[in-house]
Amino acid sequence: MSCKCGSRSTFRDDVTGNLVCSECYTVLDFDNYDAQIGGINGPQGTNIHIGYAGTGSLFSYKDKKIFQAKTLIHEYTLNLNMSYSESDVTSMINEITEGQFGGGDWFNVLIGASCYVVMRRDNRFLPAAEVAEVVGCDVYELGRMIARVVKFLNLTLPEVSIAGLFERELNNSMRLANVDGEKKERMRKQGIFLVNCSVKWFLTTGRRPLPIVAAVMAFVAELNGVEGLKIEDVAKEVHATVATCKLRYKELLEALVKVAQVLPWGKDVTVKNVVKYAPFVIRYMEMKSMEEPGAVERGENFDLDDVVSECLRKVAEFGDDKDYIEGDSQYFDGRDRSEFPRIYNDNNIGNLKLSHECLSMIYTNFLNEVDDDRLEGQSGKVHGRKSRGLELHACKDWWSGKSELSKKLLLKQILEKEIGLDAMPPSFIAGCKANERRRKKINAAKVRINKIIDPSNSGSDGSGNFCSSEVVCAGKKRKRRQASEIDWEDFVIETLLLHQVKEEDIEKGHYKALLGLHVFNSGMK
Amino acid sequence: MADSESGISNQVLEPSSTHPLGSPLVPTLQNVVSTVNLGCKLDLKFIALHARNSEYNPKRFAAVIMRIKEPKTTALIFSSGKIVCTGAKTEQQSLLAARKFARIIQKIGFDIQFKDFKIQNIVASCNMKFPISLVQLAAFHGKFTIYEPELFPGLIYRMKTPKVAILVFPSGNIVIAGAQKRDHIFQAFENIYPVLTSFKRNYK
Repeated sequence: MSCKCGSRSTFRDDVTGNLVCSECYTVLDFDNYDAQIGGINGPQGTNIHIGYAGTGSLFSYKDKKIFQAKTLIHEYTLNLNMSYSESDVTSMINEITEGQFGGGDWFNVLIGASCYVVMRRDNRFLPAAEVAEVVGCDVYELGRMIARVVKFLNLTLPEVSIAGLFERELNNSMRLANVDGEKKERMRKQGIFLVNCSVKWFLTTGRRPLPIVAAVMAFVAELNGVEGLKIEDVAKEVHATVATCKLRYKELLEALVKVAQVLPWGKDVTVKNVVKYAPFVIRYMEMKSMEEPGAVERGENFDLDDVVSECLRKVAEFGDDKDYIEGDSQYFDGRDRSEFPRIYNDNNIGNLKLSHECLSMIYTNFLNEVDDDRLEGQSGKVHGRKSRGLELHACKDWWSGKSELSKKLLLKQILEKEIGLDAMPPSFIAGCKANERRRKKINAAKVRINKIIDPSNSGSDGSGNFCSSEVVCAGKKRKRRQASEIDWEDFVIETLLLHQVKEEDIEKGHYKALLGLHVFNSGMK
Repeated sequence: MADSESGISNQVLEPSSTHPLGSPLVPTLQNVVSTVNLGCKLDLKFIALHARNSEYNPKRFAAVIMRIKEPKTTALIFSSGKIVCTGAKTEQQSLLAARKFARIIQKIGFDIQFKDFKIQNIVASCNMKFPISLVQLAAFHGKFTIYEPELFPGLIYRMKTPKVAILVFPSGNIVIAGAQKRDHIFQAFENIYPVLTSFKRNYK
């Protein structure tokens, strides 16, 4: 701070407290501004001294820092809708920083991490992606800070509940604000049921939970006829990547299609029309989940097709068009009934908790829907095509919501339930397919090499199938290629085979490692 | 410095005789990281200008990045004279690569030594060929594991003996990192194999 005379030397007047230039004795007016707005009692409010020239500047700096830190904590907890936990967050940060709090970018991340840890610790649900967006950092940075906080405080956090996250996002969704309470509750139960099924089908393991939450939310919205809720909107709301959400949605549909295969009309169910058939599939899964664990072993004398036939008879009795029955007979005539899963005892049909009226009504409805669809060539909304929406939501009897899977369960409980499909993780399936593809490529490469080594014997196996592209059919780009084209992978495999690399090692697909060890290894002894 | 002195294994993708593998699978070594001290200060700009296979951007990273093709490796050369050599597939390759980098710097005109060569990290991977239930594994081995799918898709298993980190993925792929000896990799694999087998997902 300098005076008008150019001198930087100042002293403070003992009587008035004003800062005075030591050269010209001018009273400096920088830090003694006193607004005369408080009336006779003087100014009101928080008075904080800042700057190096003030009295007790170090103390003032700390006060200001703590004040600003607490303001920031208040702001972030408010934005995260967790104002009720503000004191917990503040005390946690106080403990971590030993009362110093802090400032700067790192402190924002610390607040975010503390908010996340407090919520997880109290078994409440707050997605890390949402916290990261509010505090303005990326998820990885936040994750590192969360790990440090957990380690420092020696905490053990409970596992992430995807069902809880789904419930939270459903309740917080602005687009579902206008949906009536009964329908929303129904969507909540169905959503939790599907989320639990996804956990059992390995759709959530090793993946971020929010995309599957978005996928399930979009699915139940479509199932319940909620208008104007596209998966893109849901993805944006839950802070998830749209492409990933679509992928999870597709995986969910594929899993439902697999479940539907046990139904008599299962072969007609595809990814495109599974939403129409979803009430049946979910009903079937719900029934399976409500079975007692030993029921399958005890009574295997009940056919699901009996139930459906019964339903169809009832449809006929109700005076519906006979064409339906004739049309549907394809599903049942000439088929071995033992193909269908037997659930309960034949003689004990009364124990089956399935409403025939409901099932027949749904089946009639879906036939109408599907027939209309076939004519009009329409599909669901998620894939961006025009849709007229579902009318199945008018019939609510297919969903009982009595299954345990409609509640938030522990993983162990979920895994114990039977829902008609025991799927493997998509990544594992992809890995198996890749191995199989590589095995075929290796075989094709061996045929090519043998043909060159011994041209006269090349046709002896009668295969002539030495072009890798003939055995590979992955990806659209590959399909467009010429059948005779050989790609870089084939050359690498040929090279490795010629360098006497074991086929089992090549099959693993670590080409770079194998090339480094066996091919580009001339400098080694 | 002789190879035998540094205890470098000449084996290629084979477990050591002291740890015969009971499991039918063998982890594949993917990366070996080593360090060496050249014992003199280095003018990085001079090196960058005189070695064609190097890049140097002091604003971005305070070391020269140099690459060679055989063994296909990358070295980080610091002005203190220390080199970090990465990308080798075996300890032997890493030693050879470090020697080649040292020779390049020597030919540029520095009076170097080749001392304190040490393998710092060995990374290996393996496919268990069965899917693994990460949540159950995390629940039963919570003391050693970190599984936060929101932050990282794999489960991190921190093994105490040998001191390595194992990344486990639901597809059955695992990555073993942090070992300083090849034996540690195979020992860690031997230890984790029965654990992972017990969390193998069974299907009806």
